[in-house]
Amino acid sequence: MRSATKIFTYKILTRTFVFDAATKFYKNVVTLIKRSKKKSLRGSDKMDTVKIYANIIKENMDSPEKVNKLINLGLTTAYYYVSFFKDRRIPKSLHYLNKYCIKSIKDSLANPQNSAWVNLFAPSEFLIAMDIKPLFIEAYSSFMSGFFIEDYLIDTAESRGMSNTLCSYHKTFIGASELNILKKPKFMMTTSMICDANIPTFKYLSKKHGVPLYIIDIPYKYSKNAVMYVKKQLLEVAEKLGEIFNRKLDIDKLREVVKTENKTRALMREYLNYAGEKRFIPTMTFEMYMLFASHVFIGSKEVLHFYEMLVEDIKRAPERSGKNIFFIHLLPIFEKNFKDYFNFSDKFHIAGSDLNYDFLDEIDENDPFKGIAEKLILNSFNGEINRRVARIKELIEKIKPDGIIQFCHLGCKQSMGGTFIIKNLASELGIPFLYLDGDCVDKRNNQEGQNRTRLEAFLEML
Amino acid sequence: MIGYICKYTPVEIIEAFGEEPVRLESGYKSHERAEALIHSNMCSFAKGVLENIIENNIEEVILTACCDSIKRLYDVLKDKVKFIHLLDLPRKKDPLAIDLFYNEIIEFIEAYQAFKNKNFAEENLLKILESKSFNKEKQSAESIAILGARLKDDVIEKIRNSCTAKVINFTCTGEERVFNIEAKDNLLKSYAESLLNLTPCMRMAEDRSKLINKEFKGIIYNTIKFCDFYSYEYAELKSKADLPLLKIETDYNDSNSGQILTRIDAFLESTGIKKMEKQKAKKGYFVGVDSGSTSTNVVIIDENKNIISYSIIPTGPKALESAFKAFEIALKNAGLQEKDITSIVATGYGRVSIPFADRIVTEITCHGKGAFFIDNTVRTVIDIGGQDSKVIRLDDSGNVIDFVMNDKCSAGTGRFLEVMARTLGISIEEMAKVHKEVKENITITSMCTVFAESEVISLIAQNKDQRDIIHALNKAVASKAISLVDRIGRKGKYMMTGGVAKNQGVVYAIESRLGEKLIIPFEPQIIGALGAALISLEGK
Repeated sequence: MRSATKIFTYKILTRTFVFDAATKFYKNVVTLIKRSKKKSLRGSDKMDTVKIYANIIKENMDSPEKVNKLINLGLTTAYYYVSFFKDRRIPKSLHYLNKYCIKSIKDSLANPQNSAWVNLFAPSEFLIAMDIKPLFIEAYSSFMSGFFIEDYLIDTAESRGMSNTLCSYHKTFIGASELNILKKPKFMMTTSMICDANIPTFKYLSKKHGVPLYIIDIPYKYSKNAVMYVKKQLLEVAEKLGEIFNRKLDIDKLREVVKTENKTRALMREYLNYAGEKRFIPTMTFEMYMLFASHVFIGSKEVLHFYEMLVEDIKRAPERSGKNIFFIHLLPIFEKNFKDYFNFSDKFHIAGSDLNYDFLDEIDENDPFKGIAEKLILNSFNGEINRRVARIKELIEKIKPDGIIQFCHLGCKQSMGGTFIIKNLASELGIPFLYLDGDCVDKRNNQEGQNRTRLEAFLEML
Repeated sequence: MIGYICKYTPVEIIEAFGEEPVRLESGYKSHERAEALIHSNMCSFAKGVLENIIENNIEEVILTACCDSIKRLYDVLKDKVKFIHLLDLPRKKDPLAIDLFYNEIIEFIEAYQAFKNKNFAEENLLKILESKSFNKEKQSAESIAILGARLKDDVIEKIRNSCTAKVINFTCTGEERVFNIEAKDNLLKSYAESLLNLTPCMRMAEDRSKLINKEFKGIIYNTIKFCDFYSYEYAELKSKADLPLLKIETDYNDSNSGQILTRIDAFLESTGIKKMEKQKAKKGYFVGVDSGSTSTNVVIIDENKNIISYSIIPTGPKALESAFKAFEIALKNAGLQEKDITSIVATGYGRVSIPFADRIVTEITCHGKGAFFIDNTVRTVIDIGGQDSKVIRLDDSGNVIDFVMNDKCSAGTGRFLEVMARTLGISIEEMAKVHKEVKENITITSMCTVFAESEVISLIAQNKDQRDIIHALNKAVASKAISLVDRIGRKGKYMMTGGVAKNQGVVYAIESRLGEKLIIPFEPQIIGALGAALISLEGK
């Protein structure tokens, strides 16, 4: 009875909030249309809601407080949209993940005082154990691209001196921070591994905002000394977090997080047993959303729950009917050709990305500091490319895809530098391989016409 | 010989083996073979090194895990050279990091011993390190710093030769390998420690702001395409702006190109550390030769700064011949002979290839000089020539204190107008007429000469009035010029020089954007040559 009342109250409250938000948004849209009618009507008929929303944001860029609110409104709208308009084609687990991702971004943006900026590979086990909300910069930038304002943010970063060949995930975030749209967090933490941009981006942001930063240097090679080196740094991070957030890390809590993480990975491995046979991931966005679960939020109860649901869902999913495509590294969720061919397609299925499976082993629960240190050093994207190639091979042998695509995100040298080596692996295994150049965030860098011909020819080939 | 790239490489260990360490360079215009092995969007330096290794059949290579490009370079080279070793390089320098690096060095020694079948002797290393021991040198009063991504030795050398201040090269090519190793009980460990204590590069965790000395006369900041590390530090320095700062961006191989050297020279001139010979008070006639990309101009003045004669001829394909010809014409007009000339200063793109010049000075300094001479109220010079455009800021004494130049393309220059005149089927003179009344206010959206041309073609197809199209083109050139002006900030009065200043339409369009009249000299094309002649007379 009590829970029924709770649900009822919750529904009423959320509906009121949605109504409120929707009214605000509607008013903004109407003003914008009125204004654009005054100027000229060019292109306004083609504008969809998101673009109108993007224009409202762009017009308000000189008042960061307003933009911050608008972004929050956008996230809230997205959250309630997916809550109330469930797409039947999307499995329950992924629907849960969708909401969880939006909520996690919202939570960290809403509570900057209890939040830390991190990168995708940062060991956020400590944050989860201490109830600190992480905001990982790659995710924020992806959302901004989803809101169609990445161009403005990137141009801002470049006008401040950032290189135009720098990764757009980083430029978008730097742009948002330059414009003060992002409220500064209490702490920043990054690892040095895998991506060169991490250290300079975080150093730049930390200096600019005067926010303490901890850089965790991850050696390229695995050795006992390397583990000791990282473990010592992790101990320092924990201490620093305690000082800054004024709470102590409970080692039992950390152990609990690592235990949950290990359970989650066991489910991940189980999921992989079905990934080759079933038709499951409906859109590219979900494979990318999985990065929240396989990286920054792994160790949380919610992520464990997600993987439990995921394994159940995939068991019940229909057998695959078309061709399976395995992705190397990132999926271009905003690229039109890819959207046309892969989202909700019967013909071509998304079979996974090696980035979601860059670590599949167990972490030492008795010494979580040492265990996490090992996890970081042994990541398949860290170290010689042979390590990554071995992981891709393992995944391919399990999933048995019909084709492999590497979308070379502009500026990501660690990934594109290995393209030809991965291509060799694919040809050894007798699987067609395609690499295309483009940008996962800055849509202006995608040569749609050129890519279409190549992608179509490749898919015809399968 | 064993090739290496990174300054943190244990070069002295290689020497102790009796082998020759060679810093690998990248100096190839084409990366054909490299791009067959590695993605073309990788950093151009890494591709160049790969090309070098294949081209010269380099058999032994030692790399560090310094950046993503070099890590992948190692992966690509792994089965292609006889010996290759990758050293992990910590980003911190605490005792555990030193241990880690020390072990890496030992691993390298073991691998190389096995490969060469040669033993490593610590005594040799000690001798080498002692020969490179630390000497406290006197701090030179004036110095200029080179920061950012690695800059080629020849460019550094050119900077050294052309400036009076001490040049401190903080880039990876500049490390002076001096050591002060005390703890001899574990020589290798002390050596590892001292390597980690070299000037930190951007990949290191350490803060680099201590490198910046307020006493520097200026900073030349080098960035390489696809090497993104350094743009962060540049952005930081730029926002502080308390030291003269020049950014150059190259793809590493073209770092000694004319355009880059012009910028560096002009920067040295504007910071007052350009090497200049002192001259006595002179008598006779003084010549300035401006060898531009479109026209070559010569001015002759006498010792009282009176303009005796000048000449303007098209440069054509051979810059040197045109320079001779323009010089001859000017002499003839003045009724002088070559022996009457006391000294000659050359400027412009072709300035380096003029053998009869006594000195060369960049066109930026010359334009500033010439413009200020004509009218000393000028604070901003807008020079739009055939192939490039620049805006120069002068102080109250006529010194150049800032400047901006257009990028590599011809957008908004004389060439742009020439191409458009051809597209419209009219002469450049016709194009230059001013049409104040327009029927329709058209805007050309594309600044690129090639795209703008197709835009003009479609406007012609739409039967638009030719005068309106010309008006739109003039507006486009003006808007490019205004964006350059805005990059250094607006400050009157303005003088416009260069061939495009003869185009009334453009002048009018710029004036209406600035909201101020432009000063147009009687012959806008000779201002650079005039400045050169004045410098030739004054000797500075």
